[in-house]
Amino acid sequence: MIRITSDYDPTVTVQPAPAVHGVGPEMTDDQYEQYLAKLAANEDLKGENVRLPAGAGAGLSRGLLALGIVLLALTLFGAFVHTPAHALASFEVGVFTVLACCLGSLFHVMLFQALNAYWPVTIRRQLENAAGLIWLPLLGMVVVVCIELFSSVTAGHGVLFRWLDAGAHESHLLEHKGGYLNLGFLLFRFVIYAVLWLFLARSMVSMSREQDATGDRMLTAAMRRRGTLGLLIFALSVAFASFDFLMSLDYRFFSTMWGVYFFAGAALSGVALCAVVCSVLRLTGRLTNVVGDEHFHDLGKLLFAFGACFWAYIAFSQYFLIWYGNLPEETAYFVYRKSGGWEYVSMLLVVAHFVVPFFLLITRKTKRNVLLLGLLGAYVLATEILDMIWIIRPMAGVRDPSISPVSWWLDVVAIGGVLAVFAGFLIREIGSAPLIPMKDPRLQKCLEHKNYV
Amino acid sequence: MSARNTRGGTEMSQMISDYLPFIRPPMSRFVTERGNPVYGVMAEYETTPDVFHAAEKIRDAGYKRWDVHAPFPIHGIEHAMGHPKTKLPYIVFVIAMCGALGAWALQYWITAVDYPGFTVQGKPFDAWEPFTMIIFELGVLSAAFASLFGMLMLNGLPRWHHPLFGSERFLESSQGKLLIVIEANDPAFDPEETRRLLEETGGREIVLIEDED
Repeated sequence: MIRITSDYDPTVTVQPAPAVHGVGPEMTDDQYEQYLAKLAANEDLKGENVRLPAGAGAGLSRGLLALGIVLLALTLFGAFVHTPAHALASFEVGVFTVLACCLGSLFHVMLFQALNAYWPVTIRRQLENAAGLIWLPLLGMVVVVCIELFSSVTAGHGVLFRWLDAGAHESHLLEHKGGYLNLGFLLFRFVIYAVLWLFLARSMVSMSREQDATGDRMLTAAMRRRGTLGLLIFALSVAFASFDFLMSLDYRFFSTMWGVYFFAGAALSGVALCAVVCSVLRLTGRLTNVVGDEHFHDLGKLLFAFGACFWAYIAFSQYFLIWYGNLPEETAYFVYRKSGGWEYVSMLLVVAHFVVPFFLLITRKTKRNVLLLGLLGAYVLATEILDMIWIIRPMAGVRDPSISPVSWWLDVVAIGGVLAVFAGFLIREIGSAPLIPMKDPRLQKCLEHKNYV
Repeated sequence: MSARNTRGGTEMSQMISDYLPFIRPPMSRFVTERGNPVYGVMAEYETTPDVFHAAEKIRDAGYKRWDVHAPFPIHGIEHAMGHPKTKLPYIVFVIAMCGALGAWALQYWITAVDYPGFTVQGKPFDAWEPFTMIIFELGVLSAAFASLFGMLMLNGLPRWHHPLFGSERFLESSQGKLLIVIEANDPAFDPEETRRLLEETGGREIVLIEDED
């Protein structure tokens, strides 16, 4: 019943307003205590629904790690049997796919914190788990740098980095780029990226886990500040890392779009991995009523936006300008990928990475289906691997045209090995903490989240 | 074309006669003794929960052409009314795809079929790359137009007049009245039955709305 009461009540007293902290829903400390008590009483937030039992998935994790180590040993074997360039290129495909997953997860964690977003609170822990594993691809990159360094020192040329070749300085173009593209400066930059990423990932993950234990809501404010600053650091460091490790594979090539291109791949991998993990957790009976259809719907929107639209927009923009500009040092990149069998991979990439996910994810039904969205997340991750193959693998052929199709098993074992190790550590990471941030000030609002369209 | 669509008939013939005044709309199912076609019956409700639960009962009674009028949005009323999901996305999708295809056909025909030989930078005449921008642009443009005008058409807009505007009490619904109007075009409409249903659900001041042509 709608009534307007305007009675003047002479017994009302005026008091100083209680202290309110501007974190999440604005509450006084007493209200926050009541809020935490309400969360603690919620049956959905208890027991195995939000926490894996001790030792769950340990066997799977160990198995994947063992499999990964065997496959990586086979890769090493392949490097001696066939060519080191091929083995290293395949290994790099795996490493940079995993790096994209970790960086994309880190990006989304920081973005959600910076925007004080409430709907992704229950999926944020899975993104944090992947972001916390950033040391793994960094370790892979250390291996890559060490191999290039070793090759440069002993044999006088890089394995894939042709700009490390002793004789390459006959090239006038490289002479000009030598101030940036040299081994000492690369190592210096790599250390900076590693320190920045480890710092950001560790601080976002540790503060979130600390909040699980203490319920200190000031940590949410700290994470918001850290995330906002982190996004700026992230943008520059990811762009330059992608220049250094991926664009420089062909030192003649340059594209101002490259940093965004790698970022697009990273952002979609983060969302796709999160969709896969959340879907598996839901299908195995966890997170019931915690990560619901509404959250999957929004996750699906992100997957649609990054996995299909944004990537296609960036990839086409890069291709189109180079196609129109027609400068030899730029077009060489695409000319090589439009010949020698790579043209089929290029066409497959356009269809598999844009057309298929675009039409599959545009409907509301697929986004709200737990199983379908998990499958589509796995599919989008597969297209990211294809994208990395398309970026990195042709350069092995440039380096060494003798690479035979017989050695394709190397691609499978190298990429599979890195991914298996990553999956093994990820399962271990998921089990090491509750599946959601248990005492986030926005958790209740997230549980009530609803899409009205 | 003032309110001719109130004379009953199918959805489609009504929509057509709304837009094309020279097409005679189908006849109304009920008339008053004065000969005016009946638009429907209107009932007034006291509180928001009343009108919400009344909507659920009317939905369960199988009515399709009826509406709730309130001066403010009522959350969840679309579920209480049993609204089906809109068909607009399918209309937009088809029209957007037609727009994109049309953009491709237009450019391909101009540069590769009708006037080949206009060489730009030695690029092939039928290169798909420069077409992409305009394909995208026309796809988006037709999607935007389809959403706006499709939405208006599905809502029966624009229109000059509506029979409800003849009722003084209806006009007050923008200032605090909660109303339910059931149209006479509804297949389930029966003057006595509908009136009784509205009374049972707590409706007061039930009146017949005539369409004075």
